[in-house]
Amino acid sequence: MKSELTLEATDNMTKNRSSDQLIWLLIAAIALVAALFVPFSQFVLHVEYDYTLRTVALGGALLGIVSGVLGCFAVLRRQSLLGDALSHAALPGVAIAFLLAGRDLGLLLIGAGVTSWLGVYFIRLVTGTTRIKQDAAMGIVLAAWFAAGIALLVYIQARPDASQAGLDTFIFGQAAAIVERDVRLIATVGAVSFIVLALFWKEFKLITFDPEFAGASGFRVNLLSLLLSTLIVVAIVLGLQLAGVILMVGMLIASGIAARQWTNQLGQMVMLSAVFGAFAGGAGAIVSAVDADIPTGPLIVVVAFLLVAISLGFAPGRGLVWTLLRQRSDRRLFAAQTMLQDLYHYALDHGRADLPAPEPFLVGVRGAAAREGLRQLQARGHAQRSNGAWMLTRTGIEAAARDDRNHQLWSVYRQYADDLALPMVAEDRQQEIADALPPAAVAKLEYKLDTIRNAAASSTEEPSLPNAVTDR
Amino acid sequence: MFFLEEIVIQLLLNFVAREDLNAFLRNPQHTATIVGSLIAVSGALLGTFLLLRGMSLTSDAISHTVLLGIVVAFILMGSVFGQHPDLSSIWLIVGAAAAGVATVLLTELIYRSGLVKQDAALGLAFPLLFAIAVILVSRVVSDVHLDEDAVMVGEIGVAWANTNSHCLSGCESVTITPDDPRAELTRQCTNCRSLGISPRDEKAEFTAICTNCGQYSPAQAWQAGFTKQEPVLVFWPKSITVMAVLTLLTLLAIVLFFKELKLSTFDPTLAAALGFRPTVMHYGLMVLVSLVAVGAFDAVGSILVVAFFIIPPAAAYLLTDRLPRMLVYSSLIGAAGAYSGYDLARGNLLGIANLSDVLAGLNDLFGLGLSESWDSSISASMVLMTFFFFLVAWTFSPKYGLVSTMLRRRNQRRSFDHQVVLGHIHHHQGSASASDELAASTLYRHFRWTPAKMQRTLRQLRARNLVEVEDNLVSLTGHGEIHAHQFRETQLTNESVGE
Repeated sequence: MKSELTLEATDNMTKNRSSDQLIWLLIAAIALVAALFVPFSQFVLHVEYDYTLRTVALGGALLGIVSGVLGCFAVLRRQSLLGDALSHAALPGVAIAFLLAGRDLGLLLIGAGVTSWLGVYFIRLVTGTTRIKQDAAMGIVLAAWFAAGIALLVYIQARPDASQAGLDTFIFGQAAAIVERDVRLIATVGAVSFIVLALFWKEFKLITFDPEFAGASGFRVNLLSLLLSTLIVVAIVLGLQLAGVILMVGMLIASGIAARQWTNQLGQMVMLSAVFGAFAGGAGAIVSAVDADIPTGPLIVVVAFLLVAISLGFAPGRGLVWTLLRQRSDRRLFAAQTMLQDLYHYALDHGRADLPAPEPFLVGVRGAAAREGLRQLQARGHAQRSNGAWMLTRTGIEAAARDDRNHQLWSVYRQYADDLALPMVAEDRQQEIADALPPAAVAKLEYKLDTIRNAAASSTEEPSLPNAVTDR
Repeated sequence: MFFLEEIVIQLLLNFVAREDLNAFLRNPQHTATIVGSLIAVSGALLGTFLLLRGMSLTSDAISHTVLLGIVVAFILMGSVFGQHPDLSSIWLIVGAAAAGVATVLLTELIYRSGLVKQDAALGLAFPLLFAIAVILVSRVVSDVHLDEDAVMVGEIGVAWANTNSHCLSGCESVTITPDDPRAELTRQCTNCRSLGISPRDEKAEFTAICTNCGQYSPAQAWQAGFTKQEPVLVFWPKSITVMAVLTLLTLLAIVLFFKELKLSTFDPTLAAALGFRPTVMHYGLMVLVSLVAVGAFDAVGSILVVAFFIIPPAAAYLLTDRLPRMLVYSSLIGAAGAYSGYDLARGNLLGIANLSDVLAGLNDLFGLGLSESWDSSISASMVLMTFFFFLVAWTFSPKYGLVSTMLRRRNQRRSFDHQVVLGHIHHHQGSASASDELAASTLYRHFRWTPAKMQRTLRQLRARNLVEVEDNLVSLTGHGEIHAHQFRETQLTNESVGE
């Protein structure tokens, strides 16, 4: 358990280490951008930093950090929608706390926390004792608890006095209502939950990635995951005032999802998610100050989603843009290699290595990819076109022969690796076999291939090459 | 829609008098119960398939993003026709359904990238669409009655008041033109505002305008006093029609495509291989869910409609293993929730308890000073009653309920205990160590049980006439001997079969 648990097995440790440094650089860069956003908004967007905006922006950023950090665990444990269920489940708690103790933000939040937590417990109970799945159990809690909240709110609103006004800001969130005291509350409670997180870091990591192993190692998995869910409840309850019950789930998980794209390490993911969350919370609050009509909570969610979109697109290695580029270059390479071999064998079958093959024939056999491959070959100077037919150049013939030999060696390897006691490697015909195997092994293969060939050549019957060698 | 209502009313009038029909529909409880039950039934039917497909929370997402569809359709209508539609316009329903499908598409797009898990994809997609909707509402259409509050919470209690009037006889539509003697004419200054002058100014020009011109339906004409004879009218709540049509549509779709839906739910791969197009089924289902969600939103609000999609099917899932029965049970549970929910909103829990008494009790106990009249949201109470029925099903379901599971476990535990004791006696009976191993007073030590448990078990075994105790020595009866033997034999057979 002392070894670092990574999300995916990485085969290349050195590469991992250099990407480690990249991530920390990235985190620093985003923090810098976030810091620069303040003067930018001040001088370019002409946002006026009055007391209200300072409070709201600070509150938004702090909430972004808290929900970003704790949201990571919800994302990794595939409980993203737990955030949605629990934020709805907070409403009856707010109403009951109000009925019992009146308008005190601290008590309202405690009430919210209690009913949310009961929601968590109910979900565990239902999924534990019946065959109802987690998603449906969450839906039941979401709807039933929220209905109880609405019923209580309507009951409260029938009161003659106006003391209940504003309780429904918990449904939709109202950033402008945040005052300095709330920010201090967020900071304190957030700090406490981070301390708990730090204390149980190893345990949380373990139950997140391998609950069975954690259980077998004697950790109290149920208790720990309840504690982790409790921390998530804390993040949700703190965020309700700002984002409201519906958007809270977006705030909770978006920065975690964005952070996940950049790294495979939990620690880095959590840090990155905190920075993303702070940026979304702060920037969302500031931009919403440009025009008084734009509500803050939704804007924070939109900013957070932009971060997700950028991460999904451009995160190194995983990003969609890189994947598309890689797929395109793979496709080209494959088409070029196919055509090189096609031209080579077509020519050899007709007795002469530089015999031209008619283009319609090649396209007819290989389809549209043939044109792409031929273009690639032409660009590399391996083939040239004349009179609607294609022939290999000198370098092309050399390359094709080399490729062909490589393929045949791989075929021999596949068939005789055991007989020749060769080391096991993954078969990859795009790779030079000399790069994959030690020289002694390659020499053995070369010898074997030549023996087979000679045997075939000296035989008077049909060449009895092993299938694997002729099978290209 | 109007035409459909006409037919239904004609049909109904064969059985009831017009006055009774009007009185029935004008009763808030009747209309609320009918609309609520229709929502509950259509939701429960669709929700059953969602539950079985593991997509329950998709209905939650869709019901939220319906707001975006409504807002976008509202804005588009405004800019294309220069006039904003009213909230029951068919275009808003179309927009909402499109938004529902868009939510599913966006979720799948994010999920298919392979970078994000399914639940996270849903959790990203719908807050985004909802956030955009809220921003649009506050930016663009802030001047109309389309706030999130109305969309989210809704109130079924006033559904009776929003009616179409159907005229049966004495129908006289009236059109008032400016030359009509009944027209009320007034002068209006045409250039006062542009010139900034008062109407008394001599340069002011006037035009005659009519304040009450236009088309009057028979009901409106009677109200305005244009017709002398009272028309015979039936007032039909619009939401009943909307939800009835949606429920019938749902039923029709499920009956027509039952086989396809069933197969694509339980074995999508086989369905695809047999050419049943599970993708089409999937999106068809999503369209229906969106339609029901939007049809229900102004009655129960878009969060609470989720309850009808999720809770009744979950309850039915605990009661049966057969799909057709599950559909029937979940519809019944939903309808029962809607029916009893109206009373709960007035404080009456199934006639068992009265919430006012509970509140009074709380006041007495803790001195909270709560208002003792419970009068709350009807739609929320319907959900709470549905949840109540879920709890009942969860507790008492004959097969999967808490009670039956507990009983079954206890029986299993007990029969295991019996077997262990019988085996022990059988093993040591007649052996040299029998007096040591089979002493009734110390038998519990060999099992590391408490003496009480041992006594209980022995008592039960003696009651079954399997064991007898003589001189503090436990032994098998003849019956017990056979029992132990049989058990040994079945065990041996099981083992040899196992190998």
